[in-house]
Amino acid sequence: MEYALILFCGIIAIASAIMVIVSRNTVHSALWMIGNCVILAVLFLLLRFPFIAILQVIVYAGAIMMFILFAIMMLNLRQSDDSVDIAGNISKGRYLILALFFIGVSVIGVGFGPMALKGSMTVPAMMKFGEVELLANYIFAEGLIPFELVSVLLTAAIVGAIYLAKKD
Amino acid sequence: MADHQNIYLLLSAILFTIGCGGVLTRKNAIVVFLCIEIMLGAVNLVFITFSRANNSPEGIFMVMCIMAVAAAEAAVGLAIFVLLYRKTGSINIDKFNLLKW
Repeated sequence: MEYALILFCGIIAIASAIMVIVSRNTVHSALWMIGNCVILAVLFLLLRFPFIAILQVIVYAGAIMMFILFAIMMLNLRQSDDSVDIAGNISKGRYLILALFFIGVSVIGVGFGPMALKGSMTVPAMMKFGEVELLANYIFAEGLIPFELVSVLLTAAIVGAIYLAKKD
Repeated sequence: MADHQNIYLLLSAILFTIGCGGVLTRKNAIVVFLCIEIMLGAVNLVFITFSRANNSPEGIFMVMCIMAVAAAEAAVGLAIFVLLYRKTGSINIDKFNLLKW
């Protein structure tokens, strides 16, 4: 039952990703990307992590995709001036490289079995303490330096983006 | 969920390959950026899968860092696209070949 649900969500995710790269209109590509972000949030929910599912919807589908739509509207793009040239790409061998890459990634990745390590975020612990508390126990103990460095990175990105986009 | 691990990893590999295909084939700069975000989403799925398989919070923290980096990259990248559009009037990536040999 859960396996059927995972397969269903997976097929929707693959279909929306293919529609992103095949759409002629740029706004349609952005909307299919929003669908991809939401269906990825459903997959995170199937893996029993509701906090990351909500964060995916808020950050990716809510902030980043909206920002991209703002940029598309500001650049006033309607029709994309290209189409996916399938015959030219096959003759240049791009799809063959992609197929080999996919086979390599599948062989390396899918061969992993269940691992023996056990950590702190088991489902009973998450139901008792809450996922955010267990995650915070990790962030502010072992993950403090990356946390602070990420805030420095975001500040630098804000300053850079404002400086680039100013008309002076 | 550790026994359903393989289907998540296979789905992530397929999504990553689709994202790679989009980056290599499309010429509109914003659609290339969207395909980069597809690749980042596939990597997020791998990290969350292994975080559930090990019951460890490190995968979730890595996903949060990836989301922060994606937001920063969206801001700076789209600012660069806006500047390019103001200067040249198009965002077809074939036209920006001044650094080519």
